[in-house]
Amino acid sequence: MSAAWAVARAELRTRWRSLLVLGLVLGLGGGAALGAVALAQRTATAYPRLVEAVHLDDARVVVPDDQPGLTAAVSGMPGVAQAWTTDGWVAQVEGPVLRYVSIGAGVDQPSGLVDPVVVAGRLPAPDDPGELLLGEPFAEASGLGVGDRVVLRLLTLEEISQFAVGFGEPDGARAEMVVVGIGRMPYWGGALSNTLAGPAFVRAYAADASIHPTYLRLDGTPGAEQAFSAAFTAAAAQEPPSIVGQYLPARVELPRADVDPAVATAERVLTTGLGVVAVVLAGGVLLVVGQGLLRHHESARAAQRVESALGLTTGSRIGARTLAALPAAAVAGLCGGAVALAAGRLEALGSQARFEPTPGFLAPWGVALGGAALLTVLFLLLGAAAAAVAGRPRRSRPAVPGGGARRWLPRRPAVRVGIALRGGRVRRGVAGTLAVLGAAAVIAGVVAGATFGAGLQRLVDTPARYGQHADISLIDAREDDVAALVADPRVAALDVMTSAEAVTAAGEGFKAVALDHRLGNMPVETPAGRPPQRAGEIAVGPRLAERLGVVVGDVVEVAAPGGATVPLTVTGVVVVLSEDTGEISALGEVALVTPDQLVAVTAGEPLVGAYLQARPGQAGPLFDELSRDLEVFLAETPAEIRNLADIVALPELLALGLALVGAAGLVHAVVTGVRRTAPSLAALAVLGATPRQVCATVVVMATWIVVPALLVGVPLGLAVARLLWWEVATSTGVGGDVALPVGLLVAIGPVVLLAAVLASLWPALRVARTPPATVLRES
Amino acid sequence: MEEPTGPALVVRGLRKTYGAGGSGDVAVRALRGVDLTVGRGEFVALMGPSGCGKSTLLHLLAGLDGADEGSVELAGTRTDDLGAAALARLRRRHVGLVFQFFHLIEHMSALENVALAALVAGERPAQAGERARDLLDTLGLLDRAGELPGALSGGQRQRVAIARALANRPTVLLADEPTGALDSDGQAEVLGLFGRLHSAGQTILMVTHAPEVADAAQRVVRMRDGRVVDHGHAIGDTAGAAS
Repeated sequence: MSAAWAVARAELRTRWRSLLVLGLVLGLGGGAALGAVALAQRTATAYPRLVEAVHLDDARVVVPDDQPGLTAAVSGMPGVAQAWTTDGWVAQVEGPVLRYVSIGAGVDQPSGLVDPVVVAGRLPAPDDPGELLLGEPFAEASGLGVGDRVVLRLLTLEEISQFAVGFGEPDGARAEMVVVGIGRMPYWGGALSNTLAGPAFVRAYAADASIHPTYLRLDGTPGAEQAFSAAFTAAAAQEPPSIVGQYLPARVELPRADVDPAVATAERVLTTGLGVVAVVLAGGVLLVVGQGLLRHHESARAAQRVESALGLTTGSRIGARTLAALPAAAVAGLCGGAVALAAGRLEALGSQARFEPTPGFLAPWGVALGGAALLTVLFLLLGAAAAAVAGRPRRSRPAVPGGGARRWLPRRPAVRVGIALRGGRVRRGVAGTLAVLGAAAVIAGVVAGATFGAGLQRLVDTPARYGQHADISLIDAREDDVAALVADPRVAALDVMTSAEAVTAAGEGFKAVALDHRLGNMPVETPAGRPPQRAGEIAVGPRLAERLGVVVGDVVEVAAPGGATVPLTVTGVVVVLSEDTGEISALGEVALVTPDQLVAVTAGEPLVGAYLQARPGQAGPLFDELSRDLEVFLAETPAEIRNLADIVALPELLALGLALVGAAGLVHAVVTGVRRTAPSLAALAVLGATPRQVCATVVVMATWIVVPALLVGVPLGLAVARLLWWEVATSTGVGGDVALPVGLLVAIGPVVLLAAVLASLWPALRVARTPPATVLRES
Repeated sequence: MEEPTGPALVVRGLRKTYGAGGSGDVAVRALRGVDLTVGRGEFVALMGPSGCGKSTLLHLLAGLDGADEGSVELAGTRTDDLGAAALARLRRRHVGLVFQFFHLIEHMSALENVALAALVAGERPAQAGERARDLLDTLGLLDRAGELPGALSGGQRQRVAIARALANRPTVLLADEPTGALDSDGQAEVLGLFGRLHSAGQTILMVTHAPEVADAAQRVVRMRDGRVVDHGHAIGDTAGAAS
């Protein structure tokens, strides 16, 4: 039996309990950190996993029924590897409220192309024309669920073209349907109808199909998307104009490439938050376990000295202790892996939950197994390092030539000694620079989280900030309806919005709108500059400004019908909500021009909508009355804001968690600091310092950690929050001015100082009550 | 101001027992009724084997711990009835302490360590700094004033500790094995210093277990098993023990 083996056995036999406890602490704490990583991974991968699960198409187009040549040509266009052309219908839903819905269905669906994940019920049966699968957002908005029955009145293409002027009762077939399932897709809308039927529906109602969506798998060659887009746009231009062209401009959707930036932003915020939680947890656990192992091995310093005297090398001594730590390391690994595995019960967080393709338990095997191995190795490494540090001969402290002789000497000994013992300038002082940096990081995190959270809360709570001023919107507003509403005493303000597709000279498409204030004055949300006031001016949404790379004062060249270009000066950044087809356009992607300018830079008939603000208490009754004959909608929160609303509590929870961790860290720093400097504090008492002065010294030690941390942490936190908020606001499409949590900023200084005083009270009282002789004897 | 008279220290029937808290500890009777008087200007060595209660007696004299029984009179003030704060104030006026392992504050320079004692004693920062520089100069350490204790040799550290103990102009200098951690040069250095201080009128009570160290004192008091067994007599005093 080797000497190292004998040492290991002795260590294990006599000191296994403390090793086991430390292993458990690392396992549980590390497991929690791994759980946060697993949750972050599930949250971050929800969207791409759903994309794969539903076999999302690479590109899709929708062609009206009166352009059959274009539909037929799509499958042969450059870059196309696979195409599935389906049928689409627009239908009026029978019921007390006037509503329209689109239905999609196709036959001979190729495998591996557009298969929604069914989250409730089932897919429509292939041979039953009366079954419907609802898209999840539509089901939520309409309140329909599995088993509900709806009666659809299909519209002809001519009727769709008459949306703006009215067409009476629909002339298409009447279809009695039952909802059999709810489906999940990364994105609904556009070419993908928000309700899907089976092949039998196609056979039953083919004559009434008004559109033909085609889903495409591209061949994956570089530039395939661009080649297909160019070919489709060119082919569409050759076709005779459709009678529903204003509703269905020739456009190629790229579902895989065009990830909604708001989705990506929410994903980033969530995963960053979880990442911070994981890092803080891991840091805290490593600190606690590292210090525990150091104390464990320092208590056996004498044994190491004896072993060294007997001829055991440093490597043997460390190896023996590492060997003895193996069982505890295994416990740490098993425990951590189990906790990480249990985190598989947690669903993706916030808005990303609606992209989860496999709701329920999802075992994070990679994180659990990798984490278990990591924790095992980490425990052994920490133990070896602690044993090495404990076994190292003590060296005298390096000199600081001349230091101190010229140093400021406060009159109060408690202040002088407290500052000295805070230990910023020496290696083993009370927590020292690391404690200050840690406290500064926590304070910065708290300030950043609270400031970011305040911005989020303000945005979610203030519809005006995302351009929502109206209570009711009216789609395809006719002039006589508008006139009646203007005359209605229940209406406080009314804007008529005309909108049409515009294209820059560089080929970037965007929606241009013009506002006509018919009654009252609903303001335009303007984060920067001002709205346009005359021809030659344009104000752009934040996302559009980012996409076009323009700022206030720049000039945008816009293509006008007939081939000319019109220079428009950007006068401001505005947030305008437009829902001209019943769906809110991407927030911040809309440009505002004057009505005359809109006519000059867009082709075809613009869409017309009316947005009205009701007098207090009148919105509900007015909506009920209008919805019987007109397609009206109550103010709805845009998807981008809903995504952010899902995570509105997260930054503040994170800030709260950080504050708790910071408080625990401060208590730990002060307690361990007092323990380390007990001989110095006893020496102070020997010199004649009263117990109150010794207490004050400990309080100064604690406050001297947090004062510089506050000075660094608060501005740093504000700067981080400003950057984060600007990023989120811009990608969401709203103004990027940060909301300052004034209360927090005023209170954080006194609160942190009070926390430092409170954290130091117990150790201060304890050290002051301990007779100096006791400490001197022990040291 | 009138010069104080009477002995610097008077100890009567002092008893102290450790570890009798009832938690299974074995009680250690460190002091079993100690009587001792140290006159002003005396240099007394308290000698005895390890564990005989020398250091405990010193800590009780300095008010760093409380006795179970008996009384201590320091510079004419009974200390057994005083609370921790009053003891601290008495210590800052009348006591200077030197330890075997120095107990300097490691994060403060030599000058700051010495000046701190003067500050605690109530001097203003400028005066405290001046006093510290004077003492370090006297002890030949002015050129090392800015060094941290870790950068000094053992003898130098002990000289800083002595300077610190003298910063408040104490009535009595209590030294607990002041040469115990020093080599022979350091030992000679410290004992020579104590001799000079004694010549200047400083009262010194020094704990030691080494006869050659005790020889430097004017009187040697011997302890065994928590009791004073020989009060000794001052060199040149043929009348016997001092008390």
